[in-house]
Amino acid sequence: MQVDLEKEFELPGSAAQGWEFLQNIPAVASCMPGAEITDTIDEHNYKGKVKMKIGPAAMAFNGDIVISNIDAQKRELNLMGKGQDSKGSSSASMDLTAWIVDADGGKSALKGNASVTVTGKAASLGGRMMMQVADQILNQFGANFADHIAAMGAGVEAEEAREHIAQQPQEINGLRFAWSVFIGWLRSLFGGK
Amino acid sequence: MAKQHVSFKLNGKQVDALVEPRELLVHTIRETLSLTGTHIGCETSHCGACTVDLDGKSVKSCTVLAVQADGSELKTVEGLADAGGLHAVQKAFIEEHGLQCGFCTPGMLIRAYRFLQENPNPTEEEIRWGMSGNLCRCTGYQNIVKAVQTAAKTLQQA
Amino acid sequence: MDNTAEVQDREDSLKGVGCSRKRKEDARFVQGTGRYTDDLKLPGMLFADMVRSPYAHARIKSINKEKALALPGVHAVLTAEDLKPLNLHWMPTLAGDVQAVLADEKVHFQYQEVAVVIADDRYIAADAIELVEVEYEELEVLVDAHRAMDDDAPILREDLVGKMDGAHSTRVHNNHIFNWQAGEKEATDRVFEQAEVTVKQDMYYPRVHPCPMETCGCVASFDKINEHLTVHLTSQAPHIVRTVVSMLSGIPESRIRIVSPDIGGGFGNKVGIYPGYVVSIVASIVLGVPVKWVEDRMENISTTAFARDYHMTGEIAADKEGRIKALRVNVLADHGAFDACADPSKFPAGLMHICTGSYDVPVAHLNVDGVYTNKAPGGVAYRCSFRVTEAVYVIERTMDVLAQKLGIDKAEIRRRNFVKVEQFPYKTCLGWELDSGDYHTALEKVLNAVDYDALRKEQQEKRTQGELMGIGLCTFTEIVGAGPSRNCDILGVGMFDSAEIRVHPTGSVMARMGTITQGQGHQTTYAQIIASELGISSDEISIEEGDTDTAPYGLGTYGSRSTPVGGAATAVAARKIRAKAQKIAAHLLEVSENDLEWEVDRFKVKGVPGQEKTMKEVAWAAYNNVPEGMEPGLEAVDYYDPPNFTYPFGIYLCVLDIDKSTGETKVRRFYALDDCGTRINPMIIEGQIHGGLTEGFAVAMGQEMPFDEQGNLLGNTLMDYFVPTFVETPHWETDYTVTPSPHHPLGAKGVAESPHVGSIPCFTSAIVDAFAHLDVTHMDMPHSAYRVWQKVHELGLDKRA
Repeated sequence: MQVDLEKEFELPGSAAQGWEFLQNIPAVASCMPGAEITDTIDEHNYKGKVKMKIGPAAMAFNGDIVISNIDAQKRELNLMGKGQDSKGSSSASMDLTAWIVDADGGKSALKGNASVTVTGKAASLGGRMMMQVADQILNQFGANFADHIAAMGAGVEAEEAREHIAQQPQEINGLRFAWSVFIGWLRSLFGGK
Repeated sequence: MAKQHVSFKLNGKQVDALVEPRELLVHTIRETLSLTGTHIGCETSHCGACTVDLDGKSVKSCTVLAVQADGSELKTVEGLADAGGLHAVQKAFIEEHGLQCGFCTPGMLIRAYRFLQENPNPTEEEIRWGMSGNLCRCTGYQNIVKAVQTAAKTLQQA
Repeated sequence: MDNTAEVQDREDSLKGVGCSRKRKEDARFVQGTGRYTDDLKLPGMLFADMVRSPYAHARIKSINKEKALALPGVHAVLTAEDLKPLNLHWMPTLAGDVQAVLADEKVHFQYQEVAVVIADDRYIAADAIELVEVEYEELEVLVDAHRAMDDDAPILREDLVGKMDGAHSTRVHNNHIFNWQAGEKEATDRVFEQAEVTVKQDMYYPRVHPCPMETCGCVASFDKINEHLTVHLTSQAPHIVRTVVSMLSGIPESRIRIVSPDIGGGFGNKVGIYPGYVVSIVASIVLGVPVKWVEDRMENISTTAFARDYHMTGEIAADKEGRIKALRVNVLADHGAFDACADPSKFPAGLMHICTGSYDVPVAHLNVDGVYTNKAPGGVAYRCSFRVTEAVYVIERTMDVLAQKLGIDKAEIRRRNFVKVEQFPYKTCLGWELDSGDYHTALEKVLNAVDYDALRKEQQEKRTQGELMGIGLCTFTEIVGAGPSRNCDILGVGMFDSAEIRVHPTGSVMARMGTITQGQGHQTTYAQIIASELGISSDEISIEEGDTDTAPYGLGTYGSRSTPVGGAATAVAARKIRAKAQKIAAHLLEVSENDLEWEVDRFKVKGVPGQEKTMKEVAWAAYNNVPEGMEPGLEAVDYYDPPNFTYPFGIYLCVLDIDKSTGETKVRRFYALDDCGTRINPMIIEGQIHGGLTEGFAVAMGQEMPFDEQGNLLGNTLMDYFVPTFVETPHWETDYTVTPSPHHPLGAKGVAESPHVGSIPCFTSAIVDAFAHLDVTHMDMPHSAYRVWQKVHELGLDKRA
């Protein structure tokens, strides 16, 4: 099961700030709901973990993350993540290209193309929700990423952003997540897509 | 895993069992209590082969924990017949050829038993909806519908 | 004196052939005392559970069992490495290929068995499989059969590289299994070149699964002291299992007992020999305790026995009046990763060459190529005789396309092409001999019953109002009762079947057969056959099957072979008993054998009223007063090798309405006329037809096993895999004609599979018919609301005026 996604998130900071944060792989990983870097091998190779709970299926993917390309000129980064569910019944991989662009008013935006592939039970059971699930994960990721950029600044907004970061759940929340997936699915039905 | 004590009334008799907290009711009934009439067909609550009667409701025992049944009153297919002989639904299934391989039959019977208490005089449409949580691969349902109608008549005359 | 009524009473009391006798097996099933495999609990029994691959195609780099073995309650973790010394890591399939028992270095399909865990109970086993660490290296996946023989297709079966002599033909590509042909290619091509009209239709018969209510499982129990193996398992063919287990294990067949207890539906799913059975047996032998393995629903749908997956092209050459001049059929058969199809050995495409159907086809050619893909093995006959469903689908669909092209009504075009009643026995151009049939009479009966002309008129009116109403027709001929041993065998064992009947001194009967019931009611119907033959009430006749220690060797129950083969063996064995009984009766009555005549339940001296001996009296005498030189006792065995297949047929008609805004289909009427020859138990026949029609409905309207490009099976639980409930299932109307088989001792042909085989093309015919006025000639299954709606949408029919 493979889905391809394109995303764009507005960032409440400059492109330079965005790029600076994007290169901090463990920090970026922590923006991904349920994900964390467990081991830094070198600046291009990491080991990570993603915990996920959707309905009755709880999965913990352990895997490798490889930064295959960093282009400071373009502020672009290419990342390959690949992992297997600790129970051996599923696996997932993601090929992500992310880059930072300038936006109006000194702000910037994070853009990304991701191709997510899932095999095993996760695909058999969740295949038809894949698009919505991946979409929601990336939306949460984008919001968290933006919080980190905001937190780099000062003032009330930065304070709020820091609070958000502190409250970020450590795994993808089943119920709340399922609801947002459902809403996403409804939108896709009526969105004329 | 530490086992827990559960106690419930099963087919009119008080029974006790030690179960793991995660143990499914259907496994307790089949394996610990050795009543194998209740079957397992899908483990996702779709097929109804494991239907039992729990406190007056039809439930799928593959998705009920044994600990949830503590203190309850349970009936399985083994409890349908009494000293007077087979229950009307059992007789009707034989009479109308409402079963073939027999695997779904216990769940069907225990659901029909409850359904006819919920709706003693159902239309065909009501039977089809009321029984739709139980799957059968052999009969095409038509003779089961007939059997439920026949049982309804018998029970009303009684 | 008129004694007709008295004779009739005696006959009725036998509850023999033709009686809607209530089923013998029901009493235990309605009281929850059926004995299914998973009900068996033996002292010290352990549980097996499988570690399965999440990948469809990958190399296994390492397997680490340590954590699993460290879990309390785990007794063993076995992998291919452990089976290698026993030479059991691969096993032969029924189709002449080999299949991995546990993945050996490579996995070839998603959910393939990689390791087995043996533990104290099923919970611990389930915990332990999650602790077995397997490292995989992903390989390119092949799921599209059309790509299998491309130059750049990934090689699936590394074990077969360089071995281009396949079991059935030369292989032309590493992913090629066989090429199989029937008929005359050149002659057929010539007719096509010169034909007035030709039609051609591509169609895909999706991969589906029989999905019986009970999944597959077994309890293997090896007695170390007596070196005796007992296996209770869900098998439609226990005797063949015993032979295979003996060949694999080296244990003599005399020390292996295979028992098929009550089976919760088979439909082809329980013909194969699965890795779960093999590893349970190995584990029991190694550990010396009983081992149970029962698959869950996901494992069942994903790994044991798919059916169909045929990419077909049907072509007909005809004249302008629609008379068929030639038929050409091409098939690309997707057999998955191992060729484990359950077909008679000589027929890698089963009986697909019955694809000339009910029609008088002068010349035909069938070409089938089988290929490997990264999907589970299987290829079983899902409630049908080997590949007959596919054959009937391709001919019936192509006939409809021809009718449409010529503007001839689809009932009329069939009338013009049917084999006529006087042509039977009819030799088809692809080599079969249709034993008997009367298609025209049956067709007219159905058309009159539903008032076909009125339906067509109504459809015409509906069309002018923009509504979608479809009328489907299917006029099929089945081929069942495999089969004559001259062309049918499984692993070299001829496809005969057997019956052993013992009449006890007091006149009750115990009979055992080589077949095995899975809901068909053998305990009821075989007794009826014996009752009519021997004049003993069926209530005094016990039937036993499924235990290889007691039952005579038989090939089992699938492909509607029980009545045509097992039923024939039963009748012939009973007749042997009656022949002996006649000699005993003659001895008792002190007359010549030829002076006796049989009447219902007794021998009577011709022309001498009152001089008679009932079968019961003869039974008693058989044990104490037999003629000089005759051995005592009254029993017989028959191994029946049928002279031909039987050819049941039917005419099915379906009327349905399609909701244009949702694509939902409402089957308004489904009329099924079946001719299965002599009818043994009409009640059971009707039940079998209801069930077969419902399974046909499931296949046509919703069942499929879709795979994505990574080889993930999308839809292997009952959340996704369509099993109709009470609510979707239509109401069925049944009817019959009786055209006995001339070669079967009772004239019976078999029935259980006709409704599945015949209804599926009938549904497609009806769905397509709803769109026929818009030049739609074919729509692939499943006809789910979404897919039908897509067609509605594509044609712009869902736009509001």
